[in-house]
Amino acid sequence: MNTVKTIYLDYAATTPVDPRVADVMIECLRPSGEQGNPSSAGHDYGRRARALCEKARAQVAKAIGARPECIVWTSGATESDNLAIFGIARFNADRGRHLISSKTEHKAVIDPLKQLEREGFEVTWLKPAADGIVRPEQVQAALRADTQLVSLMHVNNEIGVVQDIAAVGALCRERGIAFHVDAAQSAGKLPLNVEAMNVDLLSLTAHKIYGPKGIGALYVRRKPPLGLKPLIYGGGQEFGLRSGTLATHQIVGMGLAFEIAERDRQQDVERIGALRDKLWAGIASIGDVELNGHPTDRVAGLLNISFRGVEGESLQFALRELAVSAGSACSSASEEASYVLRALGRSDQLAQSSLRFSLGRFTTAEQVETAIAAVKREVTRLRSYSPPATSEKKS
Amino acid sequence: MSETYNPLVVEHFARPRNVGRFAAGEDIIAASAGDPEQGVRFDLSARVKDDRIVALRFEVYGCPHCIAAGSLLSERLQGATQEQLRRWTWREAADELEFPPEKRGRLLVMEDAVHALAAEWQRRR
Repeated sequence: MNTVKTIYLDYAATTPVDPRVADVMIECLRPSGEQGNPSSAGHDYGRRARALCEKARAQVAKAIGARPECIVWTSGATESDNLAIFGIARFNADRGRHLISSKTEHKAVIDPLKQLEREGFEVTWLKPAADGIVRPEQVQAALRADTQLVSLMHVNNEIGVVQDIAAVGALCRERGIAFHVDAAQSAGKLPLNVEAMNVDLLSLTAHKIYGPKGIGALYVRRKPPLGLKPLIYGGGQEFGLRSGTLATHQIVGMGLAFEIAERDRQQDVERIGALRDKLWAGIASIGDVELNGHPTDRVAGLLNISFRGVEGESLQFALRELAVSAGSACSSASEEASYVLRALGRSDQLAQSSLRFSLGRFTTAEQVETAIAAVKREVTRLRSYSPPATSEKKS
Repeated sequence: MSETYNPLVVEHFARPRNVGRFAAGEDIIAASAGDPEQGVRFDLSARVKDDRIVALRFEVYGCPHCIAAGSLLSERLQGATQEQLRRWTWREAADELEFPPEKRGRLLVMEDAVHALAAEWQRRR
């Protein structure tokens, strides 16, 4: 993703497909590739395609310490989140209608829960501390006899902080409450083990881990079995949980992406973490900047930074040579001042003054140096236009 | 996030005119308006002589459209009378800079700053 010399620093939004992954996907789509329907068990074409899907299922399962039959293919983490949340809530609706989540979840979790609220469910929205972390004690205090599900993301997509999943999972496991984790931002970056983390449902996606867009998976605990009502009905594929013909080439891509990510995780994380530290040191030297989220409980490649006195959209536009993200900002600053940063207690002003930089497998030290120089130049320029009232120093 | 900005916005954003503020003085009037929720603040200061603005300076916190609007305003209000300030409306900048409809509330904030400048001028008299 280096077209027109724009430096790609938006790996948290999506990652480019690793060339090795692209190769196996293309191979799959060629006339000589596997074109059969994986559900067609009656002939070779189908069986060969099925074998590829099952190999990929094992690759993904291995990366999260699960058994292959626990992996359900979906279209991505959004669908996985929807399946987990609606699936549990609707299956267990006659036993209880209370759900727990946090205010800083991805919209793919928040919006299904809001829909359930409209359907008569009750959701406890936990507010993380100023560092972005939801304390397990908060979850414990919110648990009730009628709680059916706790849904908490592993790594936050905007600020990169890591939640204590294992501790929350233990609380849920003790009480027999289903625990769902959106791991879209943590796969390939942190060790994932569904057993050690006491997770019942885990959402995964390929496109944030150098795989293709349009394919994801939901880990579903099998023992003891978890009641889950499907969202999509049809041919009964994926153990009846997700009907629809399997997209062999996508699945193959996701499988290899997960295998590579897990194999290279340690060295990737060390290299990317060092680049992130370098970027942060460079930006911090400008002064009057704040790192959003916990300083150390964070994923390697992500920095969300508030620049006092500089509006985020202007900074993003000024930094056109960098592909970065201005929080979740869109058109009108009022609503868009990131709900995540607001939940952390950041003021409108600081929330609007933030940018997310996310680094990845193909980020180089040279790119980071260029980015630091550009940020220094443009922050200084834009600050020179700012009224004193908007750029007052913290001290 | 607007995907595109018109060339006038890009030009003023890259090289805003008349940024800054005048030090307080007898011939200097100043006013500001801001709305944290909309992510915008304009500080205006002007040197006045007789019944006209002879120079205007602005400072702005806001999106590229707002920076361009402040810059454009600083050019357009050179020579303006108090009455012209009072009559100034956001539409003048909205049309030229092709302000997206969802951002027009921010221009109303600029209009407030211009009208506050007129009021301050009147008060000084």
